[in-house]
Amino acid sequence: MQNKNSNRQQDQEKENQSMFSDDLPNIEILKESKMSIKVPEIPEEIIKTLKSRKKHMCVKKDGTNSIPSCNEVSVPGMVTQRSCVYGGARVVLMPITDAIHLVHGPLGCASCTWDIRGTRSSGSELYRNGFSTDLQEKDIVFGGEKKLLETIIELNQIFEPAAIFVYATCVVGLIGDDLKSVCSEAGKITGSRVIPVQSEGFRSVNKSLGHQLACDALLEYLIGTEPPQNKGNVKRNEVKDHQDIDHSLNILGEFNVAGDFWAIKPLLKNIGVSIQAVVTGDSTVEEIAQANLAKLNLVQCQKSSRYLADAMEELYNIPQIRVNFFGVEETSTSLRAIAKFFKDPQMIETVEKIIKSETERVEESITPYRQHLSGKTVAVYVGGNKAWSLIRAFEELGMKVLLTGTQNGLPEDYQRIKETVRDGTLVVDDANAMELARLLDKYKPDLLVSGAKEKYLSLKMGVAFCDFNHDRISAFAGFKGFLNFAREVDRAVSSPVWNLSPKIKAPTKTDIFTARSIEKKPKEEVTEIVQGSE
Amino acid sequence: MSCANVMKRDRTAVINPLVTCQPMGAMYAVAGIRRGLPLVHGSQGCSTFVRYSFSRHFREPSEIAVTSLHEDAAVFGGRKNLISGIGNLASRFKPSVIGAISTCSSEIIGDDMEGFIKIAQEELKQKMGEVEAGKIKIVPISTPSFVETHFKGYDNAIKALVNNLAEDPTDSNGKINIIPGIVNPGDIREIKHILSLMGVEGIVLTDISDPFDSPLRPSVTETKPFYPKGGTAVEEISDSSNSLGTISLCGYAGSGAETLEKKYNVPAAVGPIPIGVHNTDNFIRNLKKFTDLEIPDSILDERGLLIDSMADLSSRYLFGRKVAIFGDPAISAGIARFVCELGMIPSVVCTGVENPEFVSEMETVAKESDEPVDVMIGSDLRALEVLLEEDPVELMIGHSDGRLFAKQLDIPLIRVGYPVYDRVGYHRIPIVGYNGSVNLIDRITNTVFEKYYDKEHWKLQQ
Repeated sequence: MQNKNSNRQQDQEKENQSMFSDDLPNIEILKESKMSIKVPEIPEEIIKTLKSRKKHMCVKKDGTNSIPSCNEVSVPGMVTQRSCVYGGARVVLMPITDAIHLVHGPLGCASCTWDIRGTRSSGSELYRNGFSTDLQEKDIVFGGEKKLLETIIELNQIFEPAAIFVYATCVVGLIGDDLKSVCSEAGKITGSRVIPVQSEGFRSVNKSLGHQLACDALLEYLIGTEPPQNKGNVKRNEVKDHQDIDHSLNILGEFNVAGDFWAIKPLLKNIGVSIQAVVTGDSTVEEIAQANLAKLNLVQCQKSSRYLADAMEELYNIPQIRVNFFGVEETSTSLRAIAKFFKDPQMIETVEKIIKSETERVEESITPYRQHLSGKTVAVYVGGNKAWSLIRAFEELGMKVLLTGTQNGLPEDYQRIKETVRDGTLVVDDANAMELARLLDKYKPDLLVSGAKEKYLSLKMGVAFCDFNHDRISAFAGFKGFLNFAREVDRAVSSPVWNLSPKIKAPTKTDIFTARSIEKKPKEEVTEIVQGSE
Repeated sequence: MSCANVMKRDRTAVINPLVTCQPMGAMYAVAGIRRGLPLVHGSQGCSTFVRYSFSRHFREPSEIAVTSLHEDAAVFGGRKNLISGIGNLASRFKPSVIGAISTCSSEIIGDDMEGFIKIAQEELKQKMGEVEAGKIKIVPISTPSFVETHFKGYDNAIKALVNNLAEDPTDSNGKINIIPGIVNPGDIREIKHILSLMGVEGIVLTDISDPFDSPLRPSVTETKPFYPKGGTAVEEISDSSNSLGTISLCGYAGSGAETLEKKYNVPAAVGPIPIGVHNTDNFIRNLKKFTDLEIPDSILDERGLLIDSMADLSSRYLFGRKVAIFGDPAISAGIARFVCELGMIPSVVCTGVENPEFVSEMETVAKESDEPVDVMIGSDLRALEVLLEEDPVELMIGHSDGRLFAKQLDIPLIRVGYPVYDRVGYHRIPIVGYNGSVNLIDRITNTVFEKYYDKEHWKLQQ
């Protein structure tokens, strides 16, 4: 036994040596200068993985393609970080606040997904409830259509919702329930909007299809439609004057996670635009139904909503601009683009004023964070547009993005990433848990930005973590949001905890005593703890 | 003496579910095996959303593989996905056990999991050699999502593990098998503590206590792939046929114990969960019966400490208070009995399952209660909310999903069971055994102080 242990120790040491020597890219970061960051030499083989997975990782380099293979089937038997098509659809639609989101399938699909997204509402809380048709064995045999109809009628009676979205799950596709006709019948009986979403989980390996199917449901059944007759008393947004009509816009792909939209809303109000609808954060059914009246579409999450913006451009002649409210530079650029679009001299002037005063305010408060964070490295691995929209924000904190990637990027997403990241950045597609562990181990970022599934793996490896997903608690968008963002990142990276535990690879004991000097606490305290525990 | 008023859900829709589907229970069971990996034969969401759920509650990594079924499989079957999934998992993760867990899709498609696994095993032998391939056990676990709930999935998984991994008995190992049910790491640790006081070793089938509560020590943690510390070794499961007896803590999780009894003559005792005095006494008696060991003074002392705090707290603060209990059927029934012991009234006990074990446990409880008990089966949180709006209680005991209407109805919620995601540390604090019951009575009494007493009024003991 002892022998085995010492062998293992030797192996470990060997591995340590190799990790610390030639294997490790030599990353030198020049502080304060964004553009002159020295590009680390990335070895040809990015990490050890299956042959079929190698082409899913690449290093951004000018003059090369720099786009990894993507939108392919996940290798079966891996711990994939991906989700299903239903998951994709619910992410887009479930923030609609005054609707019922009914999951047609076995109970689990609803149980595991109700109220798990931190999208906030200023009105109805109906969307936070979990609704299921709870399909049982006999429904699998005889079909679930009757049960679905009964359920819709029942729910409509209890809650009188503005709409009922009905989501298809794997089972529905397999037993062949006709969702559309049941919804249409239910619509007639209840006089309410009953909207089918054809999101059978297995329809694609990529939940992006779910985003698209959700957008399809909005386009086909909601946007540009009149409210049902018996709901004539539903309040429609009243457009106050011509100024408002001319300057009205929608924000697509903004889900108000942790109140992000509320951070953007006052900015837009101050520059003189009116918001017709947000798709779908803090929205109501009737707001979205009138989204076709807006003069402009802002696209925040291009991953989920590019498709919707394109369709609305074609159907309703609404032009679109891509915006990004994460970080000072991106927020400023976005505001300028809006003003430029409306060609309103007063608005252009206001935008410049706001940018000037807000930037100054941010600069004042940001210095301490920048001091802590400058030169630190980040890995970003997320589900959507954050893979590119966060890059500048990190750079504004003086940090360097080592790696970025998504679980379900499409070629156009990686094109955006390519346009955004610096040379030398690693780009990965659909990295499974083990690959992620290897990447963290090999490239040793100071911070991982990802979702709840990756959080604890990252911590166990000694890598600080910042949640930029559904579970985060503070708004990161806009100028004020950027300060929250800086604070959260600083909290994660600068936490004294990381002085108590070696990051990623255990250094030998002497390392703990010497190399990793403790900056904020007296040394003795820590040595005591280490002696006590090891 | 009173009666149980059993009520079923009276509408078709489920609103704010109390249970989830079978595969989740099986994933939990396999996660408790040392180097065990669940492989879900279904869509990617089937594993992903459960991983979210585990991570939210335990605040730990949760590695669950999936065969990524998609449209082709719906037409041609999932054979290729399962076989290549097993192959990839085996070669990359070198697990000790792969629990191949079916889902609604794979059950409806009609995949022959056992047959596919045999083919996969043959392929592994050719690829890795007989010896290496033999080290990786593959256990098919059938968990159709449209039948019963995750508790059944847990039960099915333990039964499948025992059926596939327990070997023919040799000599008695002098140990006791414990099937814990879906409980927290702290609960399993408390059970192990009781066993150590008794002086008997246990085989926990399966033991999530370390995997779902593991230390941050990068130097000794396997990260490529990630395997947490601890869990039940395969050898222990093989050896479970040589044990003196099997105690299943939860009424819904008896199949594994019954299998061991039928196949290998290992006597079984199923439930009730050792929460409160009577139920824990019952557990200790079972231990004594199976092991023939004397109950040590240390255990009697722990029992005495529980009675001591009950004597102190129950009459003064708790007696006569009405409580609603919801969530896990075994834990809810256990707590209901315990609150009766404290002189409280379990007015409503609500769960999402319809199993007969729960109803019969609740009939026992009702007999010990002074007032009738509303027992809601196959129910959901909305039904409980509506009932409590009409007929309020002073305390609610259940998991975090009840927090919204608890706040709305202004009833304090004492968090127990799974999931608890809006408080930290609850997965570490036991509620089973005499010690766990002390924790529970403290938690209940402190909540009563917060809500119903004027803490600032005077300095004397209130």
